[in-house]
Formats: sequence, C-alpha cells, structure tokens
Amino acid sequence: MITVETQPWSVMVDHAQATYPNECCGAMLGAIDGDVKTVRLALPLDNAYEGAQRERYELRPEDLLFAEREARKNGMDLIGIFHSHPDCDAYFSKTDLENSCPWYSFIVLSIQQGKFHHANSWLPNMEQTEAAKEELTHPNA
Amino acid sequence: MPKILIPTPLRQFADKKDSVDVAGATVGEALAALTTAHPDLKKNLFTDEGKLRSFVNVYVNDEDIRFLEKDKTAVAGGDTISIVPSIAGGVW
Ligand SMILES: [Zn+2]
Repeated sequence: MITVETQPWSVMVDHAQATYPNECCGAMLGAIDGDVKTVRLALPLDNAYEGAQRERYELRPEDLLFAEREARKNGMDLIGIFHSHPDCDAYFSKTDLENSCPWYSFIVLSIQQGKFHHANSWLPNMEQTEAAKEELTHPNA
Repeated sequence: MPKILIPTPLRQFADKKDSVDVAGATVGEALAALTTAHPDLKKNLFTDEGKLRSFVNVYVNDEDIRFLEKDKTAVAGGDTISIVPSIAGGVW
C-alpha cells in the first residue's frame, strides 16, 4: 500500500492541473517499510514526449537519475512515478504497461476538465503484461 | 573498483546494500560480477536470453552507455554505475 502525504500530494495535483490538457509526469520520493510506502516529496519532471502530450508522456532517464540522486541526498528512496490522464479515468493503459518498470508504484491522476477527479496506484509486473491495483491513500480520498 | 548504485526496490536482492563495489574493466563485466554476487538481481536486470531488460538504462557517471560503448564501456575505480529505469506511457 502507498500513502501520499499532504505536501507532495498538492505538488502532484497542482502539476497535473497546470499541465492540463497535456499529461504531466514526475517522481515520488519517500520511505519503504516492507509493503508500506510513504511519499514525502514529489518532484515534477518534464514530459519529454515529442508529439501529442495530451495523450502521451515520456520521462527522460537523466531526470530519473537526478530524482534518484535527490532521494539519496535527502535520505529518501525513489518509490514511484506519477502521471496524469487528461479527461480519462485513472486506469493503467496498454501504453503505460508497455513502457513501465516493475520496481516502482505508478500513480495515475485523472484530471477532468482541468480539475483533479480521482487517482489510482498500479504495480506492473516484470513482463509488462499486467498491472495490479495497489491500495492508495491520499488527502483527497 | 567501480561502484554500482542499487535502486531502492532492488536492494532486497542485494543484501539490503545501497551500493556494491565490483570488479570489472567494462560495464558488462561489472554487471556480471554484480549478478554473480547477488543472483536474485539477475531476473530484474536481464531477460532469460541474457539481454538487459527493455526498461533498464545504465549510466556511467552522467553518461548513458547507449551513447558510449554499451556493455563494453570501460570503467575503473572512482566510476559510479547507475541503473535507471526507462519510463513512458499514455492514455491509450
Ligand atoms: Zn497513463
């Protein structure tokens, strides 16, 4: 299960609403204790997709390397990735699955008409063939 | 010896270490030494055919090895090897 604290949650929602109608993305830093993950810091990152960003996002590996270094510097762990679905539900799409990584939690924020609507967290498998829903707690839930 | 930084979710397969010093003159040799020392890491990083998984990028210091000599990229003491995921997605 994953819990997002108030401060990083507002960073994530603000970033998703500000980039609407495009997709946003970013990294989530915090702590892992067994299966319990706590997000303490959210880092908005650039959507590097060259094309229609309304329906695609891409993270630059250099930005994730930066996020990993920030985590180490702050005594935290890189535990997840967030991105938004403008005017779509917070499912884990085929494209999400095919470009995922099984080591992290993936939080999807559904932004409907520019406003936060709902969110889900997903855990993709190693073969990138399916993603399990992860219990998510956040201040808007 | 080069140092390999272990991403948090993989530390459970590396005796909880956040970095491992390994012998090896190239990235390929260093990763082989890592997965020999910690065999459970292997399936996270490599396919059954022994290729790096599609979502795994490897950096030496600040450089992506795809733009260097790939797994033949030379490494030495003082070099840091990072394992960085490749991530994208979309609504469809
Ligand atoms: Zn998506």
